[in-house]
Amino acid sequence: MIYLDSAATSLLKPSEVHSAVLDAMKTMASPGRGSHAPAEKAAETAFECRCLLADLFHVPEPEQVVFTMNATHGLNIAILSMIKPGDRVVVSGYEHNAVMRPLQLAGAQVDVAASPLFDAEAAVEAFAKRIPGAAAVVCNHVSNVFGFILPIDAIAALCREHGVPLIIDASQSAGVIGIDFTSLGARFMAMPGHKGLMGPQGTGVLICSGQVRPLMAGGTGSNSRSADMPDFLPDRLEAGTHNITGIAGLMAGAKYIKRLGTVRIEEYERKLMGLMRDALSKIPGLTVYAAQNPEMQTGVLSVKHEKHGCEAVAEALGARGVAVRAGMHCAPSAHESAGTLAEGTVRFSFSPFNTQAEVSTAAAITNRILKTL
Amino acid sequence: MHQYLIMCRSLTYAQRAAVALERAGITVATARAPQELTDGGCGYCIKVSERRFHEALKVLEKFNLPCGRIYRKGPGEAYTEVLR
Repeated sequence: MIYLDSAATSLLKPSEVHSAVLDAMKTMASPGRGSHAPAEKAAETAFECRCLLADLFHVPEPEQVVFTMNATHGLNIAILSMIKPGDRVVVSGYEHNAVMRPLQLAGAQVDVAASPLFDAEAAVEAFAKRIPGAAAVVCNHVSNVFGFILPIDAIAALCREHGVPLIIDASQSAGVIGIDFTSLGARFMAMPGHKGLMGPQGTGVLICSGQVRPLMAGGTGSNSRSADMPDFLPDRLEAGTHNITGIAGLMAGAKYIKRLGTVRIEEYERKLMGLMRDALSKIPGLTVYAAQNPEMQTGVLSVKHEKHGCEAVAEALGARGVAVRAGMHCAPSAHESAGTLAEGTVRFSFSPFNTQAEVSTAAAITNRILKTL
Repeated sequence: MHQYLIMCRSLTYAQRAAVALERAGITVATARAPQELTDGGCGYCIKVSERRFHEALKVLEKFNLPCGRIYRKGPGEAYTEVLR
């Protein structure tokens, strides 16, 4: 199989991740829930993972690194903690439902800073008009549908200038693009563990600065006589037993990312995306959504055929051993911005484990399929 | 020889303090705090020897890691709070 769906889940992972998960399952209990060796080993692993992620994302203190179930969980904590009904919240035109649905749940008045695909300047202008007076900004760093890298530095600067808190959805950028949380000055940044960070499914991270209201309450192994959740991080947001097997795997994945470096990963994935873009651009009737300036796009490429529906194309590719994702990608807002809301797209997404030969083969299979469907 | 217990607000905080002290060459242990010393129930502490105790406090201050209450205990003794 040629796996080109890493924007959904990085199925291809370093072998250290597999070993770490298995070792944790055999040797670790729960952090902070005992004085015995398995509990202590779990506590050391959780702490080491926090420190590693704090270092990777330039976060001052490991307490600010909160473990979640996924990015959606982190975004729910951030959004539901900050947003009151009627608050005006500015978002980009490329948000995932992991942002849009919690905003709807919170009763926010969503103000979309709409801009054309791959036009960073227009995105900044749209945000600049809307940020003053907003209750918050929630912004995707990279579009999960098109790989469009939003100008997050400029958007963060506007937020700082106007004193508007910023929540970043780093689902597609964490582990792929270098991110300096402190320089951005964001209030929260949410990310999954199972995509670019190479961890197992069911892991995620919310990086916090300042106070936050818990989404869930329960045991934390601290201040147990109090009926209230502790007022300190990470305990305040980590009720219940940790997914320590997942955290151990996430740590192994993050170590791999740190060793390889996001600069190399970003370049390599972009190179694979470029190869696919060039090959698919030759296919008649296929629209390829690629940035004129490749620096504005990560290793994610969406396409649409004038005749064949995206689900049919993805199914045919799957039947021939090429794993891709089709449809709305849980981001109708992004499709609306790009004009693909009616049909959706077929998305190819790459990882450091894909090869150029795989990309060439997948492109050739796509070409054949579109001729015979 | 007495042992000193420096109370910490959370496990993660105790781990941070322990890392700072270990890097300064001071051997410590991170542990769940004795039940009778935790006001809120379930707390964490770092244990440090009498010989390195004052040095440990300086290191924690240097790295802006404020201590909670401090207790000391000798063999066969009860915990006694150390006032600073």
